[in-house]
Amino acid sequence: MISGEFDLSVGSMYAFSAYVVGVLSNRGMPSLYALMLTLGFAVIIGVINGLFTTKFRIPSFITTLGMMLFLRGILYAVTGGSSVSYLGDSFIVITLGQKFQSDGILGYFRPSHFWYIGLLIIFSIILTRTAYGNHVFAVGGKEEAARAMGVNVRKIKLINFIICSVLAAFSGAIVLSRLLIISPVVGEGMELEAIAAAVIGGVSLRGGYGTIFGTFFGVILIAMVRNGLLLAGAPPYWYSAFVGIILLIATLLNVKVLKRE
Amino acid sequence: MNNNDKEIILEGKHIWKKFGTIQALKDVSFKLNRKEVLGLVGDNGAGKSTLVKIITGIYPPDKGEIYFEGKKVRFSSPLEARRAGIETVYQDLALVDLMNIYRNFFLGREITKGKGPIKFLDIKKMREECMKAFSQLGIGIRSPDEIVSFLSGGEKQSISIGRSIYFGVKVLILDEPTMALSVKESRKVLELVEKIKQQGLSVIFITHNIYHVYSIADRFMILNRGIKLGEFYKKDVTPEDISEIIASGEIPEELKDKMIV
Repeated sequence: MISGEFDLSVGSMYAFSAYVVGVLSNRGMPSLYALMLTLGFAVIIGVINGLFTTKFRIPSFITTLGMMLFLRGILYAVTGGSSVSYLGDSFIVITLGQKFQSDGILGYFRPSHFWYIGLLIIFSIILTRTAYGNHVFAVGGKEEAARAMGVNVRKIKLINFIICSVLAAFSGAIVLSRLLIISPVVGEGMELEAIAAAVIGGVSLRGGYGTIFGTFFGVILIAMVRNGLLLAGAPPYWYSAFVGIILLIATLLNVKVLKRE
Repeated sequence: MNNNDKEIILEGKHIWKKFGTIQALKDVSFKLNRKEVLGLVGDNGAGKSTLVKIITGIYPPDKGEIYFEGKKVRFSSPLEARRAGIETVYQDLALVDLMNIYRNFFLGREITKGKGPIKFLDIKKMREECMKAFSQLGIGIRSPDEIVSFLSGGEKQSISIGRSIYFGVKVLILDEPTMALSVKESRKVLELVEKIKQQGLSVIFITHNIYHVYSIADRFMILNRGIKLGEFYKKDVTPEDISEIIASGEIPEELKDKMIV
């Protein structure tokens, strides 16, 4: 989003990759290989998204909407709408989703928490401390200026589509290894939640502005609303109404703050 | 002529360019010496911008040749021209508004440190270097961390010029640099141009307002509807003479013998 593009296919990619990892492992493939293969597949999807957007100049909103419908459609067609249980080996379960076997404080955590925090820090450093990160902001802020200064705009956007797709696939593998069952409807609407989280965290919808840690807080806020409503015993149907209100307030604040600056 | 003791850095010979049925440039030749400010003047639609766009490779000429430092060149893009040492600073500047000064300054040419495949930005060095570049040119910038969108038009102009000079430009082309600026700001930009000339650079200063360029130019070249009307040394003409030539499209008889042949 900072480089000025959206990826609406993340929700479908998330469910699709969970399914692929599950099916490959169930057929006896070591789950590590299944995961690698799926991430490789995600790279291809990212490249397709990226090429359609950069080479054929179709807005990413459309290309990734197409990819979202395509992946989801395939998933429905192949599964016939029914869930698939994970019967593969324990590798990804231990390294990704299952709680640590510990009586201490570690017992409250799952490896996925550390994966998340680790990736958060790594990508934050990449975004703020490398030339590539600098180019991402420039491409989203003023594409013409970036191009004039010799930045390869296409390459930067392509890389970002790949990163987005691979990370969505990785989260799909995580959710599979945690729930051990995958339903083809999982992750529906998640692409919009992802955008909402980023905007709540201060990322500009027009690109060129935003932080990874801001988005982290956006994500936490949305998750807190979900859990809070659940714990308060409110019907889960209220969830998206609350997220909607937070999104509107956050956007209003963002605009106010930017104007005052 | 007293031209012989000077070194020609950039030369165009018999340049023609046609857009559809419009003859934008008709047999235009020019020379630019080292350490010289050439005022390229003419009314709107005279072909000034077309000429510089041909020099920097945005358009190819239909006919004609360009020589840079004695060698025949034909740039295929402004990027290539910049790498050779010719750069145009445009009105809609190649600065990303949402980014700070030092990140803009080094955009596409970031200073990095570290070994191996991952190199990190050397932020300390970039901040120092860009402040050093500004202070050498007498550009008053408070902090390299300031966001570009909060700066005035003149400050942005100065940063763009300062950046070109830092990266070793030899010929700087300024396209209407003073057009949207206040009187005070214009003067600052003109002082900056004067200073970079002292440092040995050559400048082509495009304007349709002769009073802006008269004080700093060494020589004037007047275009009218794609045709070169004439060239004059500053000592031979007054700004009123040039205004009159631009407005009437003709060289008065009494000035004809002062024209540079």
